[in-house]
Amino acid sequence: MTTLTTSNPPVTDNYLNHTKGIKSWLFTLDHKRIGVMYLVCVLLAFLLAGVFAMLIRFQLLTPEGTFMTQDQYNQAFTVHGAIMVFLVIIPAVPAALGNFVLPIMLGAKDVAFPKLNLFSWWLWIFGLVFFLIALGSGGIDTGWTFYTPYSIDKASSMGGVIPALIGAFILGFSSIFTGMNFIVTIHRLRPKGMTWFRMPLFLWATYATAIIQVLATPVIGITLLLLVVERTVGIGIFDPAMGGDPVLYQHFFWFYSHPAVYIMILPAMGVVSELISVHSHRHIFGYKFIAYSSIAIAMFGFLVWGHHMFTSGQSALMNIIFSLITFSVSIPSAVKIFNWLATLYKGSISLNTPMIYGLSFIFIFSIGGLTGLHLATLATDVHLHDSYFVVAHFHYVMMGSALIGFLGGIHHWWPKMTGKMYHENWGRFSAILVFIGFNVTFFSQFMMGSKGMPRRYATYTEMPEFQVYHIWSTAGSVILALGFVICAIYLIQSIFNGKKAPANPWGGRSLEWQCPSPPPWDNFAEQPEVGDCYDYSVLEWNEDEQGYVWKKDAVHPGE
Amino acid sequence: MFSILTLLLATLANTTQGAPANFWLPKQASTVAQGVDFTFFVITWICYVFFFGITAALIIFMIKYRRKGHDITVQGPTHNTPLEIAWTVIPLLLVVVIFVVGMRGYLDLREAPEDSYDVQVTGQKWSWTFQHPKYGATQVAELTVPVNTPVRLLMTSNDVLHSVWIPDFRVKMDLVPGRYTSLWFEAIAVGNYNLNCAEYCGKDHSKMFATVRVVPVDDFEPMMIKLASEYEDMSVGELPAYAVNRLYNRCQSCHSLDGTTGTGPSFKGLWDRVKDGDVDFTSGEKLSNLLGESTTYEIPENYIRSSIVNPQGHIVQGYLGSMPSFQGQLKDKQITAIIEMFKHLDELTDAEGNITVNPDGTPRQ
Repeated sequence: MTTLTTSNPPVTDNYLNHTKGIKSWLFTLDHKRIGVMYLVCVLLAFLLAGVFAMLIRFQLLTPEGTFMTQDQYNQAFTVHGAIMVFLVIIPAVPAALGNFVLPIMLGAKDVAFPKLNLFSWWLWIFGLVFFLIALGSGGIDTGWTFYTPYSIDKASSMGGVIPALIGAFILGFSSIFTGMNFIVTIHRLRPKGMTWFRMPLFLWATYATAIIQVLATPVIGITLLLLVVERTVGIGIFDPAMGGDPVLYQHFFWFYSHPAVYIMILPAMGVVSELISVHSHRHIFGYKFIAYSSIAIAMFGFLVWGHHMFTSGQSALMNIIFSLITFSVSIPSAVKIFNWLATLYKGSISLNTPMIYGLSFIFIFSIGGLTGLHLATLATDVHLHDSYFVVAHFHYVMMGSALIGFLGGIHHWWPKMTGKMYHENWGRFSAILVFIGFNVTFFSQFMMGSKGMPRRYATYTEMPEFQVYHIWSTAGSVILALGFVICAIYLIQSIFNGKKAPANPWGGRSLEWQCPSPPPWDNFAEQPEVGDCYDYSVLEWNEDEQGYVWKKDAVHPGE
Repeated sequence: MFSILTLLLATLANTTQGAPANFWLPKQASTVAQGVDFTFFVITWICYVFFFGITAALIIFMIKYRRKGHDITVQGPTHNTPLEIAWTVIPLLLVVVIFVVGMRGYLDLREAPEDSYDVQVTGQKWSWTFQHPKYGATQVAELTVPVNTPVRLLMTSNDVLHSVWIPDFRVKMDLVPGRYTSLWFEAIAVGNYNLNCAEYCGKDHSKMFATVRVVPVDDFEPMMIKLASEYEDMSVGELPAYAVNRLYNRCQSCHSLDGTTGTGPSFKGLWDRVKDGDVDFTSGEKLSNLLGESTTYEIPENYIRSSIVNPQGHIVQGYLGSMPSFQGQLKDKQITAIIEMFKHLDELTDAEGNITVNPDGTPRQ
């Protein structure tokens, strides 16, 4: 406990110093600590996957490949993809930021099931362990998609497939439990005054995400188990040599993995809704349309998995139906973009680091979303399928959008989580580097893809004309990596000697900005009442605090 | 309205048949390419309009409404239902248009004309085999087709998933083991085109390459007849040069000619090792014990034959045994040709493993 003697100024009791020792973290039931542990773990996994990404980019500098064998390259892209999807992007916003922010936004002391929450984190760790076992026991080279029959072919695919499958299975449960927890928490623990349509939009987005996590993830669990059984015993469900159907595996796999794309992007959209409104100090425009669009994306997202299989031999009728439904997902995404733009209109826009990430998101997601049209359209998808165009498209959505939303969220809530401010100008500089680096890396991939460069190629000796695009892409990835390194340096530095953060540095109105930074152990002594969480007219700047406070004459809700 | 839009887009996209490569797409070399490219540019131009609109708004708002002090409260509209309905419905109408254009183009891609020329395609790790049933000719890593003739590929895989992609023709289709899939195209210009494997299939996925050779219609038939019967009239002495040029490309992704170890053992020095029985198997057996009178393989040639038609029978120490069977894919005389190739490999290649002869036995320049 921190009630030791003296020291000036007195350290207030908060969640970081309330109890001490490594065990008080590893077995904590506090949602904030669990959120922080997730954040640390996810960022370390991101670093690991990032190293593999750089290996991939440097291999492709020359048509013959610079330094890796075919096998090494295949392993590099598999490990990069599997870690990024299962260990980084899926848990990034919901498990790391969501765990920290969601209960405080509700004015609650914790999530509905704190023990389950801790268990989710431990499952993540076990999942990671199995991934590491997979790397150590022969590696994996199936691609993160584990397509059959390659993944069940023991003679050719590498030996780490089964541990990797078990790891992904366990991580699935981690995700399901987090989703269940959030659904119950949002249903049961909303404070007085917070009707469904007064929830911050981040909560709508996490709620929609949680629905997908709970409904879709069990399907991948079963599928991965079937694959384990098929590979070990050989039951003939996916193996064509035994009468099984490898395309059935693709249906099962994408039935989860397409909705999983929305598990990744929806929470980031929720973050961006907060960023855009708070940093333009302006009421969010079209609240209900944004909220409904999250739910619409979650629902339509279940019905479009077949667009991953337009060239798999699936019937023409099925392709036409899936193409049509796929277009329906583009509408709610477009609605969000327009509403964010309308929020900026007549706002008062602070170009803080989180806002630069927010604006980057709008730009990058526009490109990612619009190029989705080329891929949803049957005639053009046949040409573009399995090309670098697809690689560029999903990096624009998964990395340039989901991950940049995550980074924006980290910068937005960093003062709240750590109680420290990072260096603002370094933050802006690094955000701009990330933006430039990202676009240079991946825009060139659109061009080589539509011109004929297939994905997952360790070499391209027969197509040396693509080298110039690969060089651009690698150059961009170096800028991108530099942006991340700078980001890591100033964030870590801020923990040790950053300025003390005020309760409300940006002028946010939702409840997390009404408790101190960092929050006390139990967040709020009693659950506060809430009003319109996007009405910023009650706040004013306070020079002493270096943050925003309630106006003296402003009436708190419930008073 | 719609027809004006179509006309405008067609002009902007400049999609005349057989157009050369442009900023986004490779050259057009099939009859369907023009339609696909038209669809591509309809979508791309819609994207440009939205993208530049969104970016312009973003930049203008960012500059015009930049925060100029800490205590500014702004009160913009919080919603505008007609506007929001408008920006929901207009994109909806646009995507319906895109869907219809794309679907019509797709049906053209799927439905092969009745009188198409059929080719059977087999994908296996990591090579392509093309069989011309009409002529009884087989090609490897090379597909010769006549120009201005619809060609239908009837495809299957011997092992894992593969996918045929010919970017200049704008066609692609997966090969699935245990079933047939098909695609069709009609090439519009004589020339050579890349055919890549687009579905990840393991180690040498990126080397699973073939060339589509589009030839004049009048040249096609004689070429096929020659290809089909080429080896039949050859004497044993002529077979090695034929095998190393026409058959070896099915082996080359796994078996090198220069002594490098690949997925399978190198062919260099193979005949000497086999002849002396100097091969160890994963089962612990030695080939020397299986050779000779009243054993499994009376003469070493039989061991090689068996390794081609039943490769899982004996797996050489240090290898995984991933070779598929070539039973039924090679005629007896072709197997003989491969065996003769082993015996004369030194005369067919240089020290680096480069092939030094042409199919007819003349020295390669």
